[in-house]
Amino acid sequence: MSTDAPRLRPPRHRVDRRAVAWWTTRTLAVTVVLTAVPVVPAVVWEPVRLWFLVAAAAIGGLGLLITVVMPQWRYRVHRWEVTDTAVYTASGWFWQEWRVAPMSRIQTVDTARGPLQRAFGLSSVTVTTASAAGPIEITGLDHEAATEVADQLTDITQATPGDAT
Amino acid sequence: MTSPNEHTPAEPVEPAEAPANPGHEDTPWERLHPLTVWAGAAATGLVLGVGAVVGTVVLLVTGASLWALVPVPATVAFVALFAWIDLLRLRATRYRVTAERMELRSGIISKSYKSIPRERVRSVDVNAQIHLRLFGLCMVTVGTGEKIGSGADQIQLMFISAGQGERLRRDLLNRGPAPAEARDEMPEGTDGTAPDEVELARLSPAWFAYAPATGATVGVGLGAIATLLGINAQTQGSVWRWTSDWLGLPSSQEMASYAASRLLLVLPLSLLGLLVSGVVVLTAVAVETWWNYRLTREADGTVRLRRGLLTSVSLSVEGRRLNGVSFYEPFVLRSVGGACVRAVATGLSGADEKKTSAKSRLSPHMPTGRARSLAAALMREEGSPLDTPLARHPRSALRRRRTRAVFVSLLCAAVAAALMWAHTLAQRAWWEIVHEVEAEIVPVPMAAQTVESAPVWVWGVLAVLFAVLAFWYAQGSYRALGHGVHPRYLVVRRGMAGRDTVALERSAVIGWRISRSPFQRRLGLADVAATTAAGEGMYAAADVGLSQGLAWADEAVPGLLAPFLVHGDGEGAEPGEARP
Repeated sequence: MSTDAPRLRPPRHRVDRRAVAWWTTRTLAVTVVLTAVPVVPAVVWEPVRLWFLVAAAAIGGLGLLITVVMPQWRYRVHRWEVTDTAVYTASGWFWQEWRVAPMSRIQTVDTARGPLQRAFGLSSVTVTTASAAGPIEITGLDHEAATEVADQLTDITQATPGDAT
Repeated sequence: MTSPNEHTPAEPVEPAEAPANPGHEDTPWERLHPLTVWAGAAATGLVLGVGAVVGTVVLLVTGASLWALVPVPATVAFVALFAWIDLLRLRATRYRVTAERMELRSGIISKSYKSIPRERVRSVDVNAQIHLRLFGLCMVTVGTGEKIGSGADQIQLMFISAGQGERLRRDLLNRGPAPAEARDEMPEGTDGTAPDEVELARLSPAWFAYAPATGATVGVGLGAIATLLGINAQTQGSVWRWTSDWLGLPSSQEMASYAASRLLLVLPLSLLGLLVSGVVVLTAVAVETWWNYRLTREADGTVRLRRGLLTSVSLSVEGRRLNGVSFYEPFVLRSVGGACVRAVATGLSGADEKKTSAKSRLSPHMPTGRARSLAAALMREEGSPLDTPLARHPRSALRRRRTRAVFVSLLCAAVAAALMWAHTLAQRAWWEIVHEVEAEIVPVPMAAQTVESAPVWVWGVLAVLFAVLAFWYAQGSYRALGHGVHPRYLVVRRGMAGRDTVALERSAVIGWRISRSPFQRRLGLADVAATTAAGEGMYAAADVGLSQGLAWADEAVPGLLAPFLVHGDGEGAEPGEARP
């Protein structure tokens, strides 16, 4: 292909560094719970103890691997950018996704923070358009920064006419 | 019959407690039609009544004469209760259409108030099931394409008179105040073409020949026969015994052994039987669904679909909400030269993808050429967007599909090996059990016998057959891929089992989603999807070369993606960039 083949450039901003800690904690919690599930019958039920312990070890091992690899990988992928005309995000790790939505088509802008995110001082910004493809989410922003982004988005979208469909 | 008016004593219409509507409080609130209660009671009464009468007769015959007094009065009481609740609902429901809004107040216990601006009305669906038609009623569903109140994105009126429904349909989509003459002009849903209507399509009965051309035909036949077998099994086989006595058929054992000795004749015949019953069922369904089919465009651009033999359906979509067309060719239909046309429109979405696509159908199965010209007419374009030349996707997309085919083949080989092993191990006793189970279910048990008498290598042949099929599918699926840009539309095509060519208005694109799996990254591919408010919400050029797809997206919606693109082979190029 010719040299002017277009490529996507990554969005300008990384998410907050603390997001790595948040993703690690979240994955670790899920891993612990999932590993505990086969451990219970292993303790109670003698004859099949070995098999359930093997299952627990497999789940636990895979979970720990993901816990170590995924957050760093995600941190390298997750990025966001808000221009005067559009929102642009990159997310995912194994499966990756880039989203673009023009300001004129944005319906609502929300910030949300779960208890775990709050513990790390983080917030997510959710940008909804009229499409059934789902909203655009910027996760793992510093709380202050998230509020700022949401305000900025709200201001720009309000200044843009149209019924967003 | 008492006058229906007795059931709806004039109640003073209290002023709306909900958001005031300055200047339009004089628009009177309207009610549902009083015959609603009678129609509902008649329908339930008929269904339950037949059951009650049959129940009474059965109880009388079996000698439980005291119990025989129960079914009929119980049914009457139930229907009365049902009618009473319906009456309460009817009294509690009011609607009106003002110059700006459509409002609905309803609810017996918890009151609800829904109000949507008229400019948000995307589609109006006027639907009359058979029992409603007898009473001259219809159900109106107003779609908005967004959530109002709790959950639903539509307002439903159950039921109003057919004339009122037609008036409402015109008013809501015509915008502006209701023209006075329309109120008298259309007393009932007439069938004559209004002078300002353009007819886009009308049913040709020959099209019903395409109706059974689906991959499910044999399956539907199997379903129909399975239902019959189920009834037979429920009655411990008495239905079959009765039928075979009546027809003077030989006993099951004789028939089974006769059939087993002529398997080569019996197998194709039973397949043919399945096919024929599937064809009958599907044709009947198509006739019910598409009888009286007409697709018209009204003077204001609204596209109107009318169809239905027993349940009559009239669906109107505002012209500028029809953002595109999907030209759909499922495999079997495609191979007999047929296709159908579906709408890509805002305000037609159902609860899930399946309902959305069922609601979006704008044509029955019809000849490909006719479907193409219908799609072109719907998009009002000189050169049909469907004729836009489509760009091929990179060869690596084919490689990806072939890899999948390899995995399918390996799986088939493994399963076949396991089955061969099981087949050689299977004992006499094991087959006895299978035969017994089968004899319980099927009057003429043969399937297990066929399997038993088949040589072991059959499994291997089947596995090879499946593998060949998988590679053929991969090839077809690759050749279906394509994307292109028309001056007003973007076009994507994909699918082997169900080939779908979608033309979407470029102005209706409300964003892009580029996604890449690890395999796609390795091969330099991506799914580049346009998101939209219409139809399924997202239409993708699947497995397109990354830069090819980005260039396409940039051309289709200039300016949106451009700020985020870099050109040339500068630093930061991703590994696995699309190669020539």
